[in-house]
Amino acid sequence: MRTGRRVISAAVVAGLALSAAAACGGGDKKKDDGGSTQGSALKGVKIEVAAKWTGTEEQNFREVLKAFEKKTGATVSYASTGENTDAYLGPRIAAKNPPDIAILPQPGLLQQYAAKGSLKPLTPDVVSEIDANFSPYWKNLASAKGQTYGVLAKAAYKSIIWYRPKVLQDAGVNPPQSFDELVKAAGTLQDAGQTPFTVAGASSDSWTLTDWFENVYLSQAGPDNYDKLAKHEIKWTDPTVATALQTLGKIWGKPEWMAGGLATATKTKFDESVTQVFGQQKAAMVYGGDFAAANISTTKSKVGTDAQVFPFPKAGNTAPAVLGGDVAVALKDSKGAMEFMKYLASPDAGKTWAKIGGYLSPNKNVGPDAYSDPVAKQLIEAMQKAGDSARYDMSDLAPAAFGGTPGSGEWEALRGFLQKPSDVKGAQDKLESEAAKAFKS
Amino acid sequence: MTAPKDAASGDDGTPREDETPHAPETRPAGPADPTPAGPPPPANAPASAQSTSSPASAQSTPDADSAQGASGADSGEDVSGAGSAQGASGAGSAQGVSGAGSAQGASGAGSGEDASAEGAEPAVVAGGAAAAPAVVKAAPVKGGRGLRPPSWLAAGFLLPALVLLGFLVVYPIAFSVVRSFFGADGHSFSGVDNYTGIFKGHDNLVTVRNTAIWVVVAPTLVTVIGLIFAVLTERIRWSTAFKLVVFMPMAVSFLASGVIFRLVYEQDPNMGVANAAMVAVHDTFEPGAGYPGAGPRPGKDALGSQQGDGSIVSTRQYAAGQTALLPLLRIKPEDLPKKPVQAVQPPAAKPGGLTGAVWFDFTKGGGGTPNQPNAGESGLPRVKVEAVRGGKVVGTATTRDDGTFTMKKVKGGGPVALRLPKSNFTASYGGAQWLGNTLITPAIIGSYLWVWSGFAMVLIAAGLAAIPRDALEAARVDGATEWQVFRRVTIPLLAPVLTVVLVTMVINVLKVFDLVFIIGGGDPHASVLALQMWVESFGGGNDPGKGSAIAVLLFLLVVPAMLFNIRRLRQERA
Amino acid sequence: MSTTETGTAPTGTRDGAGAPRRGLAARIVGRIGGGLAQFLLIVVALVWLVPTFGLLVASLRSTSDNGASGWWKVFSKPSQLTFSAYSDLLGKGDFVDSFWNTVLITVPATLLVVVIASLAAYAFAWMEFPGRDWLFLVVVGLLVVPVQVALLPVAKLYGAVRIGSFHLFGSITGVVLFHVAFGLPFAIFLLRNFFAGIPRDLLEAARMDGGSEWTIFRRVIFPLGGPAIASLAIFQFLWVWNDLLVALVFADTGSQPMTKWLQSQMRQFTGNIDILAPGAFLSLIVPLAVFFAFQRYFVQGVLAGSVK
Repeated sequence: MRTGRRVISAAVVAGLALSAAAACGGGDKKKDDGGSTQGSALKGVKIEVAAKWTGTEEQNFREVLKAFEKKTGATVSYASTGENTDAYLGPRIAAKNPPDIAILPQPGLLQQYAAKGSLKPLTPDVVSEIDANFSPYWKNLASAKGQTYGVLAKAAYKSIIWYRPKVLQDAGVNPPQSFDELVKAAGTLQDAGQTPFTVAGASSDSWTLTDWFENVYLSQAGPDNYDKLAKHEIKWTDPTVATALQTLGKIWGKPEWMAGGLATATKTKFDESVTQVFGQQKAAMVYGGDFAAANISTTKSKVGTDAQVFPFPKAGNTAPAVLGGDVAVALKDSKGAMEFMKYLASPDAGKTWAKIGGYLSPNKNVGPDAYSDPVAKQLIEAMQKAGDSARYDMSDLAPAAFGGTPGSGEWEALRGFLQKPSDVKGAQDKLESEAAKAFKS
Repeated sequence: MTAPKDAASGDDGTPREDETPHAPETRPAGPADPTPAGPPPPANAPASAQSTSSPASAQSTPDADSAQGASGADSGEDVSGAGSAQGASGAGSAQGVSGAGSAQGASGAGSGEDASAEGAEPAVVAGGAAAAPAVVKAAPVKGGRGLRPPSWLAAGFLLPALVLLGFLVVYPIAFSVVRSFFGADGHSFSGVDNYTGIFKGHDNLVTVRNTAIWVVVAPTLVTVIGLIFAVLTERIRWSTAFKLVVFMPMAVSFLASGVIFRLVYEQDPNMGVANAAMVAVHDTFEPGAGYPGAGPRPGKDALGSQQGDGSIVSTRQYAAGQTALLPLLRIKPEDLPKKPVQAVQPPAAKPGGLTGAVWFDFTKGGGGTPNQPNAGESGLPRVKVEAVRGGKVVGTATTRDDGTFTMKKVKGGGPVALRLPKSNFTASYGGAQWLGNTLITPAIIGSYLWVWSGFAMVLIAAGLAAIPRDALEAARVDGATEWQVFRRVTIPLLAPVLTVVLVTMVINVLKVFDLVFIIGGGDPHASVLALQMWVESFGGGNDPGKGSAIAVLLFLLVVPAMLFNIRRLRQERA
Repeated sequence: MSTTETGTAPTGTRDGAGAPRRGLAARIVGRIGGGLAQFLLIVVALVWLVPTFGLLVASLRSTSDNGASGWWKVFSKPSQLTFSAYSDLLGKGDFVDSFWNTVLITVPATLLVVVIASLAAYAFAWMEFPGRDWLFLVVVGLLVVPVQVALLPVAKLYGAVRIGSFHLFGSITGVVLFHVAFGLPFAIFLLRNFFAGIPRDLLEAARMDGGSEWTIFRRVIFPLGGPAIASLAIFQFLWVWNDLLVALVFADTGSQPMTKWLQSQMRQFTGNIDILAPGAFLSLIVPLAVFFAFQRYFVQGVLAGSVK
């Protein structure tokens, strides 16, 4: 009867309705009792790690797992969760058969699972490792109700735009510093016969649209408003949101600036948006985090020469620095799990990963020197420079139903706005009603 | 509801031999041929308490009586042992169906009330249930009585199947029904909210609408296509090969089919074969124009302006003997000539004529003087130029490789405007938006046809082959045209097969998940109920109550098909 | 669920369907012009073949080529063909594991259905017990129950079964059992109708000789039921091999079949055609081989009435 407003409340309270209390004891499916308790001797211990990464990202992560195996003697298996981490983990948690470690793409999920009691609090030695290596901001993101549950395993720097230097040069355009310059540059590129952008507006990948919005909003409304909006303390019908949407409309309102027009943009997946620029040479610029480098490497373009980045241009007073990140959490109380978390929190893991590539570390003790490729060096410097005004990706902080679900919530609302950028009011109303639903837990 | 009746009368007197499937696959008995619906034999009325519990539920809530079946078999013939559990499931499903009949069924189960009180239907099914003993009596007439194995042995043979069916099929149905009346947390009773929720909100309505489209369109098209193929293949020599090719996708998983069709439906005509074909066909009849998307420089120093109809008209007027500059921007690199020719100032015009230049006024690397053909700027060949005065075309020309044009003669006197007609700029055809909001469901249905048409074709072809030639010849002798024969004789004779295909497809379509999941990729415009059920329960919706409601709804939608099945079966055995 | 059982009758009356008879429909077509029909069917056959062929070609090109142009460009540039996507894929432990999982799920699920359904079908066809007919009707009714109805309850049921370190949920056993249960109604239906057609005398004779029911089942029914059992086995095999939904819900990473693994690769951050194309192609090779090897039985199974 009164359970009308399901999604989020459901997510937080119940999960799969299989059994609500998923507090499973230690010592589950995997034998985790073998070996001595010394960190360097986890012989015979099996650890299952689940993450969403596939392809190159997965391969790189597996290298890190191998390093851990070598160090400890444990056997680590990797499981790909597919597009929807919650859909993968939900049933397994409910069936009391979760992987030892899961790497969550959104801190919002961590909060959900923590509230349900599905997560194991980190042991003190892991927490002290985190304290030594991470800023309090990162630690807080991975904590709930005073308990620390997660280690930020991987950062994503989302305030950049990738571009083809040759095309900008040919058009006589310099990387823009401000949003207005970006708009102007787009116009010039169009005059030069080049399509300025590809936009990844497919339902499944509309998170890119939320990133566009977040960069503009953080830049215009400032970090304080950003935090408030992220917690839904100000409404989406707020004038600051209207301003940000209008600003976005300066670009989104020009379908001729998007490769293939609106029809293509609303069907383009993120990886396609990158390959359209760097593989098919259909446009000059594409929004994408540092992780786009992985996609570029599948094309014939070379990161650093054929593909470069400029910071997302300021639309207001703040230079936007929107960060994302994947949080590792322990779903089992096993010895191996905690050792692995400790490893992830150490500079050791960060340096190993940084060397392999396709990686930015939130670990402050992994300096720029640790990175093998020049773009990553550039990004990590920008990221560390942004310091306190850097903010975590807003949609990833929101309940998954609002900020993390393909085809609904903020994703679909902004996708609707992309299709009808003149209707700022309508977009705001839709955003607000979706947010209200999702935050009412 | 005549199904049980046929069965009752059939089962009763049927000798065993007739149950064997020797009849030709498509009996010419069309639907017009009514199966005998005799009244239930009075002997069946006291069909024992055991059967009274099943009748009503047999029609609407199969879970109830199959649950009974399972436990009934467990304990031999004693049903009462499992009575209470079944009562519960029966009641639960009765709500799901919300039919008066099933409610009666539930109460009937409890009280052991005489089924015949409820009218013909229950009594008839009672007859069906009672048929077993009747057959028992019939059998020994031929065989020796002592050879009959005891029924506990039968229970042994049935046990594994019934246990599995009971736990994994029947029990879940009951569970889902009950679960569908509770909220996401599983504790709060929510009445029918989960059911009404299916029809609330834009996205949900789209889901329901899509499901309706699927159920109506897909089975019909599959059947029609199957019929056409079946008819056409009768003609050709390589029909076996053709059938194999069309039938083959049946062996391919929906996942693979989904991947295959995602490739097919790629938007970019350079990537997706569907649009590549569309564009190829389109361009054969209407080749693309020269410079799609090109336009004049905006702002106050503009020399041309884009009109609403897509043409570009000079801002200035020109008199005979003058030269005109018509710079253009936004020329796509791929539209530029392969070997660009430097744009130049137009030659001086002869009296009575006009000259000019049309070029790409963008200097590589920026800079350059606007509205002047700077070094490095390319002329635009093959642009049509018209001189217009008062809406009338008074002269035409086409640009040369360097972009210049010469209009030898301008008719009449007075200044003219220069116009570049829109045929220079029409956008090239990009194919259909297969996975766009409107076409996505039809596109996925298309992939479904690809998978299932072979199934329909094979069934219908078998039906065609079984049609008695005499009937056709008789019609021909009577002077019917081939079309008439097809319409009046073949189609009616095929009707049973076509119905089977149609019903099978409806059942199948209600369950369609993988194709929508893979090709739709989460797009709400493609969603259907079967997918939505998964999304609500497992795919992030986190609302098993709603998921259960959708599952139960799907189940209710296939109930008619189930009754159809049962009816057919009983007809067959009659 | 159909009247069309001839295909599986012991006498194997498939010739009826296969014999080239000149039907009236054929004559209609004859008048319109056989050439047109030929042409149409050739076009149709191409339409049916091209998508799969496209997948094959795409799987034989590099990711960057696939990202830059459509697969048919390979005709002008055959040098693009490469097996690298396949060798990469086969180098992935996960994929190979998932292939074996598919086998480990499909084979038992097929065998179990055959055995369990044969037993039940024999009982339905040739043994007497009270309530036999309506019980059979119930089974027929279950034929059309959508799997969706059972996903949640069975997930819950499985979640409750934990024996030591064994969890039914997420295990291969769980997936197999689910497939068996949902394969049974069709299997029982198909086999019962077939078994019922076995000449009575054979059974009578065997019973006269004092053979136990078990012996009769093993010596008479099972061998004579060959064709129907083959049809059934192929159906079940293909159905289980190709399933995604059941695996999506009940399998975990250790037990996931290829379909689920491939689905998990459909993620956003990577241009993954290099995995999907060869993966999808490999996943359909086995069923296609089975189909072509046994298509006769497959067709018979269809004719006997499929509702899956």
